[in-house]
Amino acid sequence: MIKNILIVEDDVVFCKLLTRFLTKNNYTTNDAQSAKQAFELLKEHTFDLAILDYRLPDENGLSILESIKENNKVSKVILITRYGDQEVANKAIDLGADAYVSKPINPDELLEVIKNL
Amino acid sequence: MKLSISSNVHLVEPGDFEPADHWYPRALNSNIHPLVATFLNLSHEQMVARFCRLNPRADYDTVMKLLKYQPKYFRWAGTDLMHVTNNEGLRKLTLIETNSCPSGQKSMPLLDFNFEQGGYRRLIEKTFKPMVDNHPEKGALAVIYDKNPMENVGYAATVAEVFDENVYLAQFKLEDTDPPVEFRDGKMFVRGEKEEWVEIRAAFRYVTQEPWDRLPKNPKTLLLNPIEACLAGGRNKEVASRAYDLFNKEFESKGISIFTPKTFRNVAYHELQSYYEKLGGSMVIKVPDSNAGQGVYTIVNQREMDFALSELAHDPEELFIVQELIHSNYTEGKDPADTWYHLGTIPDNKGRSFAYDLRMMMHATEEGIRPLAIYSRKSGFPLNQPLPEDMNSWEVYGTNLSIKGDDGWTYADERLILFDIRNFGLLGLGIDELIRGFIQSVMAVYAIDQNAIHTFDKKASIV
Repeated sequence: MIKNILIVEDDVVFCKLLTRFLTKNNYTTNDAQSAKQAFELLKEHTFDLAILDYRLPDENGLSILESIKENNKVSKVILITRYGDQEVANKAIDLGADAYVSKPINPDELLEVIKNL
Repeated sequence: MKLSISSNVHLVEPGDFEPADHWYPRALNSNIHPLVATFLNLSHEQMVARFCRLNPRADYDTVMKLLKYQPKYFRWAGTDLMHVTNNEGLRKLTLIETNSCPSGQKSMPLLDFNFEQGGYRRLIEKTFKPMVDNHPEKGALAVIYDKNPMENVGYAATVAEVFDENVYLAQFKLEDTDPPVEFRDGKMFVRGEKEEWVEIRAAFRYVTQEPWDRLPKNPKTLLLNPIEACLAGGRNKEVASRAYDLFNKEFESKGISIFTPKTFRNVAYHELQSYYEKLGGSMVIKVPDSNAGQGVYTIVNQREMDFALSELAHDPEELFIVQELIHSNYTEGKDPADTWYHLGTIPDNKGRSFAYDLRMMMHATEEGIRPLAIYSRKSGFPLNQPLPEDMNSWEVYGTNLSIKGDDGWTYADERLILFDIRNFGLLGLGIDELIRGFIQSVMAVYAIDQNAIHTFDKKASIV
């Protein structure tokens, strides 16, 4: 059962609004605006789910996904891809992502994906 | 709201406004001070009549024309003012800065509890909408920003509500190598949900970091404010200072003037030390296009002078603004005619009084320029205690709330002073000061807008 979620996304508006939405739906969240910040959080915490944006200022979401899979700090992973970016989505699944969602993100649809994990 | 429809773009829909997302919790739960509410509801006639009672040399008709003025470029503005006095106890509000992308809504108590979108709605409904309605371009609506997401999400949600259509909310950062906003022949486009470029007819703009590198002059897409407002003084302290001087010259015979600390423009790096000595060992150095407290140095000793010189040495060709410091306390030996002191907050129960500024946000409506939001910020260290040797004087004089690593949702909460029932009294301000501060601010807007007209239209237009 998913309770606590790590959001890795450089867009502060997305982080804030998604955090508020997920909190209202009884999840606990932490957010990171870069891969570096995400790795710092992963040193100290474990998460039931990580929602990773593919495009980050320092590394991309796939490299965080690879690292997560190596150290078992996160149970499930959802990768956010650009609209129509099937290549990245396939790569994410190959690397062990549990799901991917493409932009635009509808919070209710994302919630469904989380519940179905 | 559709989140992240493409990188750094969200689609905001009517009904998305959530007050808790667009006000600081303290402001959301505050009650406006009745005196402030009275001030915000005063008619222009009441304000001008009172101003002229307070300033008997001021010409009523001229002040009224300024308040009724319709700016061409600078239709939304904020000023920072400080409450000062001199050795004779003459109290004034001095203009420190004028800003063409001012923050403030998130710190403003609601004027009327029945209108939960408060100042966001007044600005969009009374200023932005009439402009858009008169602008015959095709395309969608957008809010573009590089700071202050709390207010900008609020503006986007309000635009969506007022126009009853979806609004693109796009982050347009200076350092973004693949930004979701671009201009083609003056027309703005925002990256949409299928990575396509969406044509924009009008945008509310809160782009503050070197905006002249990203926004074109004379755009086809309507911008509030356009870049001309920044270039004419809304984001350049040197140009603004010249505009104020022109204003003061033009209106000298009408008994009004913009009051600023004594200012020296175009000071070369190698001249800074001699100004420090000439001004008696204290001054303020400003980088002309600095913003939000960055690039502003308060100097009260040689150690601070040396620090400023080392910080500013990277570009020896740059020209600076030097201003006389507004002092913390009365000091004998300074020329009383030229020396001003912070009045500071009413002493707290530990006897501490702090320097503070007053942010006045205003907007151009069909009836003229109106006040929109007001709040104050106090400094970190009291005026009336000796400055510890290792402490920078910025702690006494600096009032900006931004804190390092600020993501636009956090701030130095303990230094924000709301204009609510609980806090407003701490400032020692009355309705007369609010009127004076507002009229000072209107004069600054007029001066900068006229400067923009003279600079970019090549034709003069006076009141």
